[in-house]
Amino acid sequence: MARLLQVFGFLSVLFRGATLTFQSLAIGGIVFLIFVIRHAKEDSAAIQQACLRWIRRSAIALALMQISYVLANSLILRQSADMSLGEVAGANFVLAGAIAIVAAFTVIALTTAGRSTGYADLLFPAAAIMASSVMTSHSTARLDYRVPLVAFTALHQAATAAWLGGLPYLLIAIRRAPAPDFARQLSARFSQLALVSVAVLASAGLVLGFAYVGSFKGVYGTSYGAMVATKVLLFGLLLFLGALNFQLVRRGPASSILASLKRFGEAEIGIGITVILTAASLTSLPPAADLANDRVSGQEIFARMSPRSPRFASPSVQELPEDVYAAQKKAFEVGSLSTESFVPGQTGIRPNTPAEKAWSEYNHHWAGIVVLAMGLLALVAQAGKVSWARNWPLAFFGLSAFLFLRSDPETWPLGPIGFWATLADPEVLLHRFFAVLVIALAIFEWRVQTGRVASGRVRLVFPVLIAVSGALLLTHSHSLGNVKEEVLAELSHIPLAILAVTAGCSRWLELRLPTENQTRNVMARLWPLCIALIGLVLLNYREM
Amino acid sequence: MTKKKVMRPDPRNFCALILFATAAPFLIVAPAVAHAVLLESYPPLRSAVSGPNVPIKLRFNVRIDAVRSRLTLIRPDGSAQPLEISKHTPTDTLSAQATGLTAGAYRLRWQVLASDGHITRGEIPFAVTQS
Repeated sequence: MARLLQVFGFLSVLFRGATLTFQSLAIGGIVFLIFVIRHAKEDSAAIQQACLRWIRRSAIALALMQISYVLANSLILRQSADMSLGEVAGANFVLAGAIAIVAAFTVIALTTAGRSTGYADLLFPAAAIMASSVMTSHSTARLDYRVPLVAFTALHQAATAAWLGGLPYLLIAIRRAPAPDFARQLSARFSQLALVSVAVLASAGLVLGFAYVGSFKGVYGTSYGAMVATKVLLFGLLLFLGALNFQLVRRGPASSILASLKRFGEAEIGIGITVILTAASLTSLPPAADLANDRVSGQEIFARMSPRSPRFASPSVQELPEDVYAAQKKAFEVGSLSTESFVPGQTGIRPNTPAEKAWSEYNHHWAGIVVLAMGLLALVAQAGKVSWARNWPLAFFGLSAFLFLRSDPETWPLGPIGFWATLADPEVLLHRFFAVLVIALAIFEWRVQTGRVASGRVRLVFPVLIAVSGALLLTHSHSLGNVKEEVLAELSHIPLAILAVTAGCSRWLELRLPTENQTRNVMARLWPLCIALIGLVLLNYREM
Repeated sequence: MTKKKVMRPDPRNFCALILFATAAPFLIVAPAVAHAVLLESYPPLRSAVSGPNVPIKLRFNVRIDAVRSRLTLIRPDGSAQPLEISKHTPTDTLSAQATGLTAGAYRLRWQVLASDGHITRGEIPFAVTQS
C-alpha cells in the first residue's frame, strides 16, 4: 500500500491517458463501422471483421484500465481517509468506472457474437462509455454552468473519438479493401465524418476554453492555459495533415493516392495520440480560471526566456544536497516545504536550491550544443555534399553518457546512493531509461543514415522514439507548491515537445511517403531543422 | 495485360501502431497535480486565531464529496484529532468546529474527494492564542 501511495500521482495520469486512448479507439471503431462502412456488403466483410476485432481488443483494454483505476483510487481513498468499503463504493468515480466496465464488456459481447449486419446497437454501450468519461471530467465538478459544460465536454470527447479514434480503422480498411476504388470511397466517407467531427470538437473546445481558461492572461500565465494552447497547436498540425488527405481523396486516380493517404493517416495517429495524452494531462490540472493568483506575467516570461549566454560552468557535486530525500524531509520539518495542496503520496514541494538550478541549466545547455550540432550535420548530410556528416547520430552516444552521469548527481557514479538502490525511484529509473533510449537511437539511426539499413522497420525506430519523447514532455510533472516556477518550466518544455513531435512525424513521412509525392522533399528538410531548433531552445533553457 | 494490384492487409504494421498507442501512456512518469484548489480558509494560512473554540471553514474551486472528505486537527503535541464535517454546507465547502483548543501551534490537515474523482490533500498551519 505504501508503494501504491508513492506512485499514486503517476498512476492517475497513466490510467487517464490509457483510458482516453482506448475509449477513443473503441468508440471511433464503432462510429467507423456504422457511418463509414455503413452497409454490409460482400466486399467489405473482411474489413468489418477486422474492425470488430480491433473494437473488441480496445474494449478489453478499456475495461482493464477502468478496473485498475477504480481499484487503485479506491485503495488510496480507503487507506488515506480510513474509509469503509461501503463508503468508497458510493463515490462518483466508482459509479462512473462501473458504467464504463459494464459498457466495455457489452461491446466485447456484441462484437464477439457472429454477426454481419447492423451495428447500431453498439452505439448504446458507446454512449455509456462516453457518459462515464464525462462523469470524471472537469465539467462534473464545476460550480457554475455545470450542465452546459457537461454537454460540451461530451460533444468534444465524442467528436475526438469519431475522428482520431476512427483513423486507425481507416488504415485497416484501406489495407483490406479489395480494390483501390473501394478504398477511395471509404476514405471519402471518412473525410466527411472527419469534417463534421472537427467542426464539433473545435466549437465545443472553444466554449470549454472560454470557461476553463477565461482570459488571454490565463493562456500564458498558467500551466493549464499553456497546455490548452499546445493542444490547439497540435490540432492545427492535424488539420494540416487532414487537409492534405482531403485533397488527395478529391483528386487523382485512386491507385496513386492510396499509398500517400495511408502514410499521412499514420502520422495523424501519432499526433492524435499526443493530443489525447495532452488532454489526459489537462484533466489533472486545475483550470486556469480557478488560479487567479500566482499567474506568470508577460514580463516574467520575457525575463526568463530572453536570450542569454549559455552556462558552461557547473557547480560541484558537493554544492548540491547530498540526498534529495533527506533534504525534502528536513524542509518538511523546518516548515519550508509547501504543503498547501498536493496529491496523496507527495510530502509537499521543496524548491530547488540555486546550485541545483545551475546544475540543471548546465546540463540542458551542453545537451543543446550536442543536439544543435546533430541537427545542423543532418541538414548538411541531407544536402549530400559532405559524406561524413551522415555519421551525426554518433553524437547521441555522448549525450547518453552525459545524461547518465549528470541527471541524478546524488546517485552512482557521482553520488553516495548505490546504482541498484536508485532503480526503485521512478524518476531515476526514467532518466536511466532515457539514457538507454538515446543509445538505441544512436545505433538504429546511424545504421540507417550510413546505408547499413536500406529498408524495413528499423528505419522507423528514430521517428517513433523522437515523437514519443515529445509526447512524454507534454505530460511532465507539475505541482501547485511553486506555481510560477512550474508554469515557466512548462513554457520551456512545450516548444521542445512540439518540435520533437513534428520532427518524428516529418521523418516518418519522409521514409514512408511514395517517392513521387513532392511533400516528401519538404519533410526531408523539416526534421533536421526541428532537431536544430530543439538544440537552440535547450541552449536558452533557464530555471532562474 | 496490366496486373491488378492486390491490396493485402499488413497486420504487423498496424500491430506496431497499436503497440505505440498502448505503450505511450504507460511511459508517463509524471505525478498528477493537486486538482482541488483551496480558495479560502478559516483559519487562514499561518494566521493566529483566538481559542478555545475555532470554527473551521474551507472553500474549494470544485464540488466536493463531503461524505468522503476528511478534516484532521494536529495538536501542538503531535496528536491527531478527526473533526466531524458538517453536512449542511455548500457543495464547494467543508466546515467543522474545533473545540477546547489551548494556546499553541496547530495544523489543519484536509483531504477532499472532488466530484470528478480526484483526491487532493493539504495542510493549514495556524496558531491559537488565549482568548
